[in-house]
Amino acid sequence: MTISSPVLRNSMRLILPLTLLYALFAMLKGHNEPGGGFIGGMIFATAVCTYRMSHGYAAQLRLLPIHPRILIFLGLGLALGTSAVPLLLGHPFLRSAVGEFHLPFTHHPFHYASAMAFDLGVMLVVVGVAVGMITQLSEELE
Amino acid sequence: MNLSNLIILFIVIPMGTGVLGVLFKYQVGLMRVLGSLSLASTALLAVGLLIHLRSHETGILVTQMGAWPAPYGISVVFDSLSGLLLAASSLVALGCYVHSFSTVSAAAQARYFHPMVQLLMFGVNLAFLTGDLFNLFVSFEIMLMASYCLLTFGGTRLQMTQAYKYVLLNLVGSTIFVIGAGLVYGMTGTLNFADLARFVAERQALGEDLPTGFTALSIALLLVFGLKGAIFPLWFWLPDTYYTANVSIAGLFAGMLTKVGIYAIARTFPMIFAHGGSEATKVVMPILAISAAFTMFLGVLGAVSHHNIRRILAVHVISQVGYMVFGLALMTQIALAGCLFYMIQHMVVKSCLFLCCGIIERHTGTDDLDRSGGLLRRDWYLALVFFIAAMSLVGLPPLSGFFGKLVIIREGWDTRWWLSIFGLLTGALTLLSMLKIWSYCFWSPQAAAVERPAGESPPPGSMRPAYAGATLLVLVALFLGFGAQPVYEIAFRAGEQLADPRDYITAVLGPESLDHLAGRDLRSPAELAAAARREATP
Repeated sequence: MTISSPVLRNSMRLILPLTLLYALFAMLKGHNEPGGGFIGGMIFATAVCTYRMSHGYAAQLRLLPIHPRILIFLGLGLALGTSAVPLLLGHPFLRSAVGEFHLPFTHHPFHYASAMAFDLGVMLVVVGVAVGMITQLSEELE
Repeated sequence: MNLSNLIILFIVIPMGTGVLGVLFKYQVGLMRVLGSLSLASTALLAVGLLIHLRSHETGILVTQMGAWPAPYGISVVFDSLSGLLLAASSLVALGCYVHSFSTVSAAAQARYFHPMVQLLMFGVNLAFLTGDLFNLFVSFEIMLMASYCLLTFGGTRLQMTQAYKYVLLNLVGSTIFVIGAGLVYGMTGTLNFADLARFVAERQALGEDLPTGFTALSIALLLVFGLKGAIFPLWFWLPDTYYTANVSIAGLFAGMLTKVGIYAIARTFPMIFAHGGSEATKVVMPILAISAAFTMFLGVLGAVSHHNIRRILAVHVISQVGYMVFGLALMTQIALAGCLFYMIQHMVVKSCLFLCCGIIERHTGTDDLDRSGGLLRRDWYLALVFFIAAMSLVGLPPLSGFFGKLVIIREGWDTRWWLSIFGLLTGALTLLSMLKIWSYCFWSPQAAAVERPAGESPPPGSMRPAYAGATLLVLVALFLGFGAQPVYEIAFRAGEQLADPRDYITAVLGPESLDHLAGRDLRSPAELAAAARREATP
């Protein structure tokens, strides 16, 4: 379903990058604060679907040139892989590695956890499911 | 390598295979190999761990997800109860999965059939392994989600109608479940089974009352589990649902899904809600006993009255669930062991009968008893497999059903003799209904040939996987009959673990968790009375 509105088309230029950036931000801050892969994925998918509304399906394919099924596979694989790695090291499933490292030119140490990769996987799954569903439904409508 | 970390493989393997199935959606051949390997490996793993645990001190393996300690994190527990059920369910799934190669159309197979089977097993395995109530809910949801998809493969109008009812009913059940889980957390401050068992045992040992409403809560959860397990009077959804699904999938469901509900009762009630002489026990036990009698007897009456193979088999699932609830209603160590043995043998045998039904349908083009016949001459091998499975279901002595029924009925004779009489009567009627299928389908002369539409007759050799699946299950059923001794050893240990939660609690929460209850017997009064009876009659 495409809405041919110049207002929407032009404002999407601003909205799209901001929303995608915010999705990434929500995903990353989910480690210690409200947010996380699921919310980040929803926001990402909203951006993609709004873009589809303003620019059409072909433009969406250029923006996200991966089949949603593959996104779901990558996301689930990443999440499952991250959770299974500790098994090889003799730790329980889902055990997260945590630590800190210093980025050059910054004062604050950067706190990382391998659970972040799990969250990224969740995000990919949510994007894949949401975009895939909306694509299927709008195909039926058209 | 720490062995207990490995029990998570029961969840990782099917999930990983399911994920690969999403990628290789159209590579049906590859997915068949991967899927069979996944189910076979979980079955082997379960059997291997069970054999290993026979000499283990407590017989319970525990892993804490992400190394978060027990009542706060997610515990995954492998004890004798879950081990036996995991082994049986993986084998049943393997048989039905191989059978589905000949019954599920190629178009359906390329529509996420393979990932759905794996995700169903992911949910089932998680349900058997999880150590807390909320994750039990989650695993029910995973399992149901996959079952909704599998139920509607084919997408006929009838399937959609039945699936709609099934989805609606299960949504209601899940809602009550999650409300119940919330209330449990509110009343006790924990959802972990071991911690709950400790909470209840502690209150009783110190002579304190359980929180107000604990009984009502246990009834609400019994309602949910009873709905999944199809016990009286919550069975009404079952016959139609199994009737409309593809026959291999119906076999898978008949083996697996009701048993998960019964498992949930077996896991939570003896240890937690109906533990000891609590008020809940006095309410729950009679309910379970009466419901067992009705489930057994009315179920088998339904089976006798039907005249259509699949309906007979589907209604029979209900009647057999009654025996398991019978074992639960006694709630002694031996009755629980009998219940567990009956569960695994029923999973195998009932699925095998459904798989045979699939082959019969292929031969005759119908599952109406009146229009089939003469199969004994046309296919003696199928007749043999069907006969062994049917007689196992009835419980003819050297076969598996006998040992399950024997233990439960014998144990019930002292305290609830009327239930045992219902059990025996049901056995006789089961024989009648199985003989009905046997004599109409196999012994009667060939019925008038059913005219098939042109082009529908299957290519020769396409039924080989179906025979392979049925053969696998009938071999397992024979093993359960002739090798009942080692299986029962493990089942008795499971009964012990359920009747006396001490081992389970210390395995999950650590050895200090019961220090302040030292020396107190945590077994229930029913179990103590049964133990006294056992000692009196050597």
